[in-house]
Amino acid sequence: MNADEVALFICAAVAAYAAVRILLEKNTLRKLPFLNVLSFAVAGAIALLLPHPLGIIAAAAYFIGSTLESNAIASTYAGGIRQQ
Amino acid sequence: MTGDPLHILIAAAVSWINFVTIDLIFRLPERGGVSGAREIARQIEDGGGDLHGGYMMGNIVSSPDASAGTLLAACGVYIAGIPGGILAALLVYVGNRICHDPGYAGTTGALTATFIVYGFTLFGFAAAEFIAGMVIAILTIQGISAVHASRLLSILWRWRRA
Repeated sequence: MNADEVALFICAAVAAYAAVRILLEKNTLRKLPFLNVLSFAVAGAIALLLPHPLGIIAAAAYFIGSTLESNAIASTYAGGIRQQ
Repeated sequence: MTGDPLHILIAAAVSWINFVTIDLIFRLPERGGVSGAREIARQIEDGGGDLHGGYMMGNIVSSPDASAGTLLAACGVYIAGIPGGILAALLVYVGNRICHDPGYAGTTGALTATFIVYGFTLFGFAAAEFIAGMVIAILTIQGISAVHASRLLSILWRWRRA
């Protein structure tokens, strides 16, 4: 295996592990750090699979979108915009 | 360029040091930037973790920080060299503004990581090894034990404040 294939394998394995931890964790807010790890692994896999300048934008757009969603979920659980 | 496991472990350690150092410099463990980050920290503390480490973990979840900057810069350098890393830093900057984050930890982390990753590629490392390395680095903080990771980050935060 070359460096790209090894890196892709690690991203896929970490993503699968994070998905299992998300399923096993009952507390929604404590799921979010595992979801963060999943987003890192998937964003890395996108860049490795799409080695094109738009691939950087695709990986960043996926990652930032996922982060914004986690932010919104956590803030909603914290009581929404009134407590910001 | 063989995907040497030693290279990936070194890349993971370098990425870990880069993002933790910059997040500490930008005081991420001091407090939660948004209410969601504070709530994640409170839940981690309820589970037996430490509040300040929890704040840093909550902030990492809630906005692209130096860890996201390191990953996206490694992706950028992998695809397009230094200009790719600079583009990634710009995208992280936009992402911070979208996530109501007033800080510059993400952008700074992306810029330092761009030059670190590029520098290592001159010594036989592949940028792809840094993508895998950063995924492993974030796994150690966010993906194994919130209790132990938050305590470790709190210890580092006390050193930073001292």
